[in-house]
Amino acid sequence: MVGRRLERFAGVTVDPGRPAIVVDQLTETFRLHHERPSGIKERLTRLRRSSYTDFDALCEVSFTIEHGESVAVIGHNGSGKSTLLKLLARILPPDAGRVDINGRVASLLELGAGFHGDLTGRENIYLNGAILGLDKASIDERFDEIVDVAGIRPLLDTAVRTYSSGLYVRLGFAIAVTVDPDILLVDEVLAVGDAEFQQRSLERMRGFREAGKTFVLVSHDLEAVREMCDRVIVLDRGRLAFDGPVSEGVELYRQRVAAAAAPRAPRRDDSRRVRIEDVSLMSADGTPVSEIPPSATMTLRIVLRALSEVDVCSVGVLIARADGTHLYEVHTTWQGVGVGPLASDQDATVDVRFSAHLLAGHYTITVSVTDLTGRETWAVAADAARFDIAPAPGGAGLVDLAATTAVSDGPAVRLGDGTGGSVTGPIPLPRLQRRRAQG
Amino acid sequence: MTSPDNVALPDGSVPGRRFRTGTAKLIELWRARELLGQLVRKELKVRYKNSTLGFFWSMLTPALMTVVFSVIFTQVVIIDVEDFAAFFIAGYLLWQFFQNSCQGAIHSIVGNGDLVKKVYFPREVLPLSHVLSQLIHLLLALAVISPYLIYQRGFGVLLHLPATLLAVGLLTVFTAGVAMWFAATNVVFRDLQELFVVIFLVWFYATPVLYPLALVRDQLGAGSWLVTALQINPMTWFVEVFRTPLYGAVVAVPGGVESGLPAWPPLVSLGIVTVWAVAVLVIGYALFLRGSRTFAKEI
Repeated sequence: MVGRRLERFAGVTVDPGRPAIVVDQLTETFRLHHERPSGIKERLTRLRRSSYTDFDALCEVSFTIEHGESVAVIGHNGSGKSTLLKLLARILPPDAGRVDINGRVASLLELGAGFHGDLTGRENIYLNGAILGLDKASIDERFDEIVDVAGIRPLLDTAVRTYSSGLYVRLGFAIAVTVDPDILLVDEVLAVGDAEFQQRSLERMRGFREAGKTFVLVSHDLEAVREMCDRVIVLDRGRLAFDGPVSEGVELYRQRVAAAAAPRAPRRDDSRRVRIEDVSLMSADGTPVSEIPPSATMTLRIVLRALSEVDVCSVGVLIARADGTHLYEVHTTWQGVGVGPLASDQDATVDVRFSAHLLAGHYTITVSVTDLTGRETWAVAADAARFDIAPAPGGAGLVDLAATTAVSDGPAVRLGDGTGGSVTGPIPLPRLQRRRAQG
Repeated sequence: MTSPDNVALPDGSVPGRRFRTGTAKLIELWRARELLGQLVRKELKVRYKNSTLGFFWSMLTPALMTVVFSVIFTQVVIIDVEDFAAFFIAGYLLWQFFQNSCQGAIHSIVGNGDLVKKVYFPREVLPLSHVLSQLIHLLLALAVISPYLIYQRGFGVLLHLPATLLAVGLLTVFTAGVAMWFAATNVVFRDLQELFVVIFLVWFYATPVLYPLALVRDQLGAGSWLVTALQINPMTWFVEVFRTPLYGAVVAVPGGVESGLPAWPPLVSLGIVTVWAVAVLVIGYALFLRGSRTFAKEI
């Protein structure tokens, strides 16, 4: 009884009546010292001048994760994902708020952390297992499995400092996956290793998920997130930006990435020569549009105003997919057109006509004004216009290659005239992506 | 491995916060005994991994020190104790254990920064692993040196073995407290590792390892500030308690000091070291736990 009580007290048993993870108003503050006084002398001499700023890596984040849920945490670098994971793993204590974890936790924040180069593979398996909370008996039991997964049998009694980095990581992974927790926290470890290793680790995670365990993944790999998780938490500068279904969360994150990836307007004074007054997207007949059919012809109208007298300049247009992939870039100079010279307060309107040979998706346009050589940027409007291309029959993917098909030999049926089958449209994008990830 | 602050006992009662946190920490440490054992094994293995003489290297330092100090203090400057070499080694082994443990522990958190930042485990196992691996060294060294001590000081050395082991046990408790303090403090004050050599040099000479306490008392009088300083130093009492069953008590007699044969240490000295050991462990551990909350941020 006492033993059970102690075990319970140390949080080993799971109470199914409570959620796996409760995070309540969690705040974690880091103190950034501008010049960190780290020694006694510095402390004494800089006692008063020691300056710092407090920086909230996480700010009042709350969520609850039930048993068996698999949740991805995504966000930009520095959004607090890893800090959150460290709090869940108890590596950091919360500065304010509460983290309540119900069940045995294992965290894969780094593979092979705590390996000692001078020890052999065999010795490191026991050492690393102990660091991850495995007792000797359970390592003994799984020893052969670990060795086989890592594929290190011939090198078992060689010091690990002689291992290749790939082998090192594989051994770390093989040990880590033998931990059998109720809650598994994974931070980007899938990103290391070769394709085969990644595949194998994904399989492991899938198995873990299917066993009904709780799973929290921090990743930039949106494909893995889509496949592995059924819920997404998006963090933005330490705050909870979104908590819900995967597809919505991933889409939101893609849009934020696109907005952040666009070049920032230079703040130098000498660049305040031109202002981009207006950017609008119009269809061929001159009406403003935002959703268009594939391969429709559009006009992007850019209105500039010179803030002072400016020389001839070039206007550039960059079209990107919502996740930041650059699709097309053009500058007026490339086509032999210079804009200006403009007198102070003079306006110029530039029309860029193009056909979007693109397929269903969200796209953004960035407009920039540069000097003729393209070295100096005078004005930038990131995410100046957006357009969506509606799904339409004819193809799936990114670029509309305007394919035509014909059966040159053998029987064929003409579909889609209300006569034949029901499948005429392209496969929806998310389903396609999921299929790609599985294949 | 849950957050201990939020766990209620099965009967629904929630014990007091301080007690709860303290007990949970101890349970956690108990659960980490496997890890502690692996780390001790690692310390021992890594040290002798690429050396042929292995463990005997760790005997070489005390042996050489004994030779050097014996030559100086029996030929040049005379410290008049019987069997100076036996007298010295009986105290020096203990000192070496203390100093090496602290030296290993001081780097244990900072040096394992990657681990501390990436994996959760009770952080106290890092300094404790150094103390325990040094303890194994001490016990081996005692086994190696005991024939010499028996030869010099008679079979009383064996007869009083329980007292020796008790003294070792108490010193380990004391050292654990000091080692944890050093480990935690070095995370915020990196100067400490530079100061370490100086601190331990001064501390060594301020501890009656080279000379008997009775000699200082005899020469300067019991009221001297130096004697008071020596008596405040906890290591003085550990050395005295440790040396009595191994070498014998050194007592003042008219005209000098005289060494007795191995004996049971006096109860007063035992009491003093017990109080020191427990107090330093509790304080050192408490300070360590307080500091350990922010290790992952500070490193």
